[in-house]
Amino acid sequence: MKNRTLIYFVVVLLGVSLFSCKGEEEYHSISDKIEGESKPYHGALTSEQLLADTELIEITEGEHTFLIPERKGQIKSFACIECHSKPVSQMMGKDAPKAHWDIKVNHANSDAMNCATCHNGEDMNQLNTLTGKNIDFNLSYKLCSQCHSSQFEDWKGGAHGKKVAGWAPPRASNTCVNCHNPHSPSFEKRWPVQFNTKTAIERNEGLGH
Amino acid sequence: MSDNKKWYSLDLGLNNKKESSGSCGCGKSEGSCSSTPKEQVEEELSPEEFYEAAINASIGEERHRDGFEQVFDVKMDRRSAFKKLTASLLIGAGAVTTSCSVTTGSDTKEKAQIDWEEQFKGNYKLMTDEEKQGTINRLMRSYELRTDKKINMTAENAAEDVLFGYAFNISKCQGYMNCVSACVEENNQDRNSEMQYIRIHEMKDGEGFKFDKADDNYYHEVPAEGHFYMGTQCFHCDNPPCVEVCPVQATWKEEDGLVVIDYDWCVGCRYCMAACPYDGRRFNWSKPEVPEPEVNKNQHYLGNRMRKKGVMEKCTFCVQRTRKGKNPACVEACPTGARIFGNLLDPDSTIRWVLENKKVFRLKEDLGTEPKFWYFMD
Repeated sequence: MKNRTLIYFVVVLLGVSLFSCKGEEEYHSISDKIEGESKPYHGALTSEQLLADTELIEITEGEHTFLIPERKGQIKSFACIECHSKPVSQMMGKDAPKAHWDIKVNHANSDAMNCATCHNGEDMNQLNTLTGKNIDFNLSYKLCSQCHSSQFEDWKGGAHGKKVAGWAPPRASNTCVNCHNPHSPSFEKRWPVQFNTKTAIERNEGLGH
Repeated sequence: MSDNKKWYSLDLGLNNKKESSGSCGCGKSEGSCSSTPKEQVEEELSPEEFYEAAINASIGEERHRDGFEQVFDVKMDRRSAFKKLTASLLIGAGAVTTSCSVTTGSDTKEKAQIDWEEQFKGNYKLMTDEEKQGTINRLMRSYELRTDKKINMTAENAAEDVLFGYAFNISKCQGYMNCVSACVEENNQDRNSEMQYIRIHEMKDGEGFKFDKADDNYYHEVPAEGHFYMGTQCFHCDNPPCVEVCPVQATWKEEDGLVVIDYDWCVGCRYCMAACPYDGRRFNWSKPEVPEPEVNKNQHYLGNRMRKKGVMEKCTFCVQRTRKGKNPACVEACPTGARIFGNLLDPDSTIRWVLENKKVFRLKEDLGTEPKFWYFMD
């Protein structure tokens, strides 16, 4: 009798153990796996080579430290004071050369914003906050974040915006003005770059075969 | 690794054992592999030996076969045996005639030699690194012989501590389709059949995901009033049904989570296509054609190398790019930043921030396929 129970036990144990070694996976779900194997990446893959041609600045916002593209070098007519030698009010006369004729401000309404909301009329090389503090053109995201605070949070974490080059560290993220035109920030309606006419055909053909 | 386990699972030495050493299947250095008495299995064998014996009992020598043996030394019906023999014979005959001929050039001989060796190569999954290098060298040379153009093909393996994941912002996508274009160009998809790995679905606001009512072939300016856009592609499931159903093991999950296909091993049965709940796989009904100047010459064996007629293909998260640290082509091309890609195991990565701080969800989560592709919104 005892022997029989023993044999029964051995058989059940063997059965269970055979089934339990079916897969090589040791985690129940992908989130368990992520949690279980998570560690800061210092592996062989890096974005350094991909970023080599881009001028970058390191910034720290909250707990996030990452790189952003340098901006001033990309602005064609910087420094601004090379032309803005006089206050704006004096330069706006009839005879003055029109430099920014193509800029139309399409950003909030005219009650909320005008040129002076962002540009410092006294010092054109700098931007200014709503309270009149100077902001460097390279750090223009600080200006945007005054109103767009939730987008700013997402951008710091990486949920808003795009990375420069690859996924591998170091992290380099585009700033607001790399994707949005600050004078007209919203994306335009346009035709898709391509469209697909064959999806339906492909599916039907797949069924027909 | 085993310290992190959340529950008990039997360790039969599976993880300690990387590669079986020696020529003998059961791992023993002497004696016969096949005749292991049953009593010994239960009483005297160590767990590792037991595991080996159990595998031997079920699939025997099968798993140690390589190259030639994988093709010929298996039980098959007469029809497929003759088919394989004929194919090999034709190639062999070609090789013999060209190599013995005095009139044919050395290029033709070399091509015949390459075709011969390619015909008898094994499954990529089972290849050693040298064999991988061997096959990509042959494929590069073969392309050069056929077209006089050089391509660069790699066989990079998955990097350690990397698990690829993807996040898609449904409130950012505007349906511009830049991702689709970039994908087609990057991955050398067939231009005739307009094969596309990514689908962008136009859906009505406020109705949720209704794939039967979504417009996948929209032809108007975007974004259309009252609509939102969402993209689907291969989700690189952690528990992929396509891999499970493949009868010839031509598709599998790599260490970094990518679900890949060995195009040379695929027999085109399309079981995987039927098994995929996400419409993630595509089939080549005809020989894919890409105009020579448009061919992307930076290729990976498992990624964007030229396919042939009658095989499956799919998104590989641009394995040729991502295993070099770059983003997939769709992520790079997206003008609105709706697509986020990164290493799920790295707590400092942006994809991890998205998963931890945004409200995320996955498609058909109840199927247990564990897609590594999350949707979120602002």
